[in-house]
Amino acid sequence: MKKHVMFHGRECPHCKAMMPLVDRLEKETGLSIERLEVWHDEKNADLMRSYRPIFTPKCGGQLRVPTFFNTETNDTICGEVEYEKLKEWATK
Amino acid sequence: MIKFWRCYVCNDIHYGVKPPEICPTCAVKNAYVLISAREAKTICGAPAEADFSKDDFLTAIQKFTEDNEFMVNPDRAKVDLLFDGIFNNERNHGLKYCPCRLMCKELEEDLKIVCPCNFQIHETYKGLDKGECWCGLFIKRPKTSEVNP
Ligand code: SF4
Repeated sequence: MKKHVMFHGRECPHCKAMMPLVDRLEKETGLSIERLEVWHDEKNADLMRSYRPIFTPKCGGQLRVPTFFNTETNDTICGEVEYEKLKEWATK
Repeated sequence: MIKFWRCYVCNDIHYGVKPPEICPTCAVKNAYVLISAREAKTICGAPAEADFSKDDFLTAIQKFTEDNEFMVNPDRAKVDLLFDGIFNNERNHGLKYCPCRLMCKELEEDLKIVCPCNFQIHETYKGLDKGECWCGLFIKRPKTSEVNP
């Protein structure tokens, strides 16, 4: 798994809205964000569930998408956010 | 503890801590008897075989919002995308799970993300003028003054 991961759902409007921002982030920073779809891929879903103790305190006590996760620092963002916040998550 | 109850007159099924005093289907008083989950599943399975389309679901949730402070989002493209997810989730995972969250494979927890969920407790809804459910399928009804300035 890459350092930066986005767990997303194919039919989630927040995820759809965040995709162009993730594209921009990759272009601007040269980073690569691994996009893992969780409703149509059980392996990805199980992986996301395995991070439940880390994600749920940041996500209203639940597993929500999109969830942005830094696998090295455990930094987690949940939901639709401004580009600057996403960039800060990816670059700090 | 939540259990299943059956109206002995019309077979209306109630899922809850205690049954209604008056059956909402046939209006008979003190009509409910405790039943097993297996019986409830069998009885509820019969009408569930009938087709329940996206239009049926839209009609159902529109009716559900009628006397509430929220409404179905008028953004049709968003609703269509969410309906795709909700129906795919029902087909692939058994219930109309929320496309913007993920089931954790614990039924009691997962029942909290069946659409429509109890979104009035979401931080995206509670206490906000322009609140919406986590996915944006339901939004708070704009005040009349905002609709007709
Ligand atoms: S957040 Fe909205 S779309 Fe998701 S389950 Fe709740 S009501 Fe349905």
